[in-house]
Amino acid sequence: MITFGKGNLRIPKWSKRVFMVAGGCTPFRKYYPEYKLEELVMMAYKMMLEDNNLKLSPLEIKDSIQFAVYGEFADHFQDQLLCESKIHDYLGLDPLYNVGIKTGGATGGSAVLMGAQAIASGYANCCLVAGWERMDEVDTRTGNFYISTAACKDFETRMGRIYSSYYAPMANRFAWAYDLNDQVRAKIAIKNRHYATMNPNAQQPGDHTEEEVLSSRMSAYPLRFLECCAMTAGSASVLLCDEEMAYKLSDHPVEVFIAGGSHTLRVADRRPMDIPLLPNEKPGMYDAFLKKNPRWPGFESFLAARFAAYLTYRMAGIKEPVEELDLVELHDAFTISDVQTYGDIGLRPYGQEIDYIESGDAYYGGKCPANLSGGLLGTMHAVGATGIWQAAECLWQLQGRYDYFHGDPKWWKRAGKKKPKNWTSLQVKDPKQALWVSHAGVGSHVTVGILRKAW
Amino acid sequence: MAENYEKAIKTKYIGKPLTLHDEKPAWVVDSPRAMSHIHTYGLLTPFFQGLTQGKLMATKCVNPKCPHPSVWLPPRADCPDCYERMKWVKVPSQGTIYTFTLVDYAGIGVEMKTPYWQIDVAIKGVDTIFKGYLEYGKPEIGMKVKAKFRTENPTHTILDVCWVPA
Repeated sequence: MITFGKGNLRIPKWSKRVFMVAGGCTPFRKYYPEYKLEELVMMAYKMMLEDNNLKLSPLEIKDSIQFAVYGEFADHFQDQLLCESKIHDYLGLDPLYNVGIKTGGATGGSAVLMGAQAIASGYANCCLVAGWERMDEVDTRTGNFYISTAACKDFETRMGRIYSSYYAPMANRFAWAYDLNDQVRAKIAIKNRHYATMNPNAQQPGDHTEEEVLSSRMSAYPLRFLECCAMTAGSASVLLCDEEMAYKLSDHPVEVFIAGGSHTLRVADRRPMDIPLLPNEKPGMYDAFLKKNPRWPGFESFLAARFAAYLTYRMAGIKEPVEELDLVELHDAFTISDVQTYGDIGLRPYGQEIDYIESGDAYYGGKCPANLSGGLLGTMHAVGATGIWQAAECLWQLQGRYDYFHGDPKWWKRAGKKKPKNWTSLQVKDPKQALWVSHAGVGSHVTVGILRKAW
Repeated sequence: MAENYEKAIKTKYIGKPLTLHDEKPAWVVDSPRAMSHIHTYGLLTPFFQGLTQGKLMATKCVNPKCPHPSVWLPPRADCPDCYERMKWVKVPSQGTIYTFTLVDYAGIGVEMKTPYWQIDVAIKGVDTIFKGYLEYGKPEIGMKVKAKFRTENPTHTILDVCWVPA
């Protein structure tokens, strides 16, 4: 829709407060012949139960769970329908009810949203949210084709059979409209891949130069290989609770706010509309902008992300995102999707997205650092797990446990790597609130979640 | 004749053994798949048929009570704003390039030889933008293009239309 009814804009309100207490993940790799999928999910689940300073034993927590939400992007990749049933059985959770969630790249965020709804409604007071993808059963080009069937099969898939070719037109239009150059996009790739060098679970860590990024192989002009995430195998999980259970399990729970927005599968079908304003934006502030760029959201921005932020900021009472958020984890599947989102979630006004990078705000030590985890570019995009893993990384930052989960040699050993000598902490100092974006398609589904320190 | 379920049966393996793709660190088998999907264009058949006749057909909402009557290309049968069935209209075969990319590395099964220019075309009177590819030339935003149709040996897909510089 391009105009809203009053009812459409109601701000979500949990019936009960929702908390997150623990997270876990596997190391992320391109190819994982050592383990079957259910073994990878068990690895992430056990890490969640055993390594988060929970006050009950893993089996006592197992005895406390009532509901599970599972995120998996594509049956194509797993080559197993009802994968959820097998995973659930292998985690020993039958006959508790479970559901599988599928919303493309936003699957993880949507799974957390569904788990939060189970807690908020009172259906459960302890809910597992786990996700996975194993993209290593097919070769990369077949994987590219599978993913491209998440573009419109009648009108778009055949035009490229690779998702970069659906983001690249947005990159070219964004560059034309807002003067984005290759160097800024390269900075994002360099930043996130560098942060990934501190993450033992990262699939594509690396210290790259601008020249390396901009001379890496072209995928779809102007997006190059080092600007694109890779196919990943791996799993992640988080545990959601109501207030009573959260404090029973943890001395350091965080409160959860999350909402979503959607938009057409085809960017082509996005008709121009007014911009829904965030709490820090004033009516009329985009008048001149809209005169120059009359097709908002067009190919430049994501209504789904804007709408999710519109809801979640009001749900969580956030007024000034950059001032109030201590860190963010964005969906940097491509450098361009990262840039586009800065305006949508109000890190900068529309048209000034580039300044979020150029000002230094986006870096460690900056006002609101982004993707200290290494993001999708540097660390992982095991699609069904991604939005869950991002939430876990935010949780660990808020709990002050970045160093444990990224610096303890045992995690480097688990990943079969040696902790680098130049490893440095990316723990944000005394953070209170973190945001993560889980994003699908060319902006078809987006969740914006906020975690808030609750002790 | 006895029914099958009344017989003692000796079972024969008639499958094709899988090959071992890897033996270490675990057994990894190569499990091939080949299949065909029987896919309908449903109510959009006039669009795909139109391409083979050299026409660009869009759908238009003609409901006077519709809050946002629009012309859709890609077409869709029903208006998402008022839920009424829409009407077929022929739209101009010219437009301007709204944005573009060069597809250099494509997924498996790609039907154009890479690299090629993929373009998004704005067409006068159409509320949406239409994705296609440029048969020859080099695109830039704002460049005028016209549609070219594959009226002979059609592919029966969206690739029956492409664009050339106007």
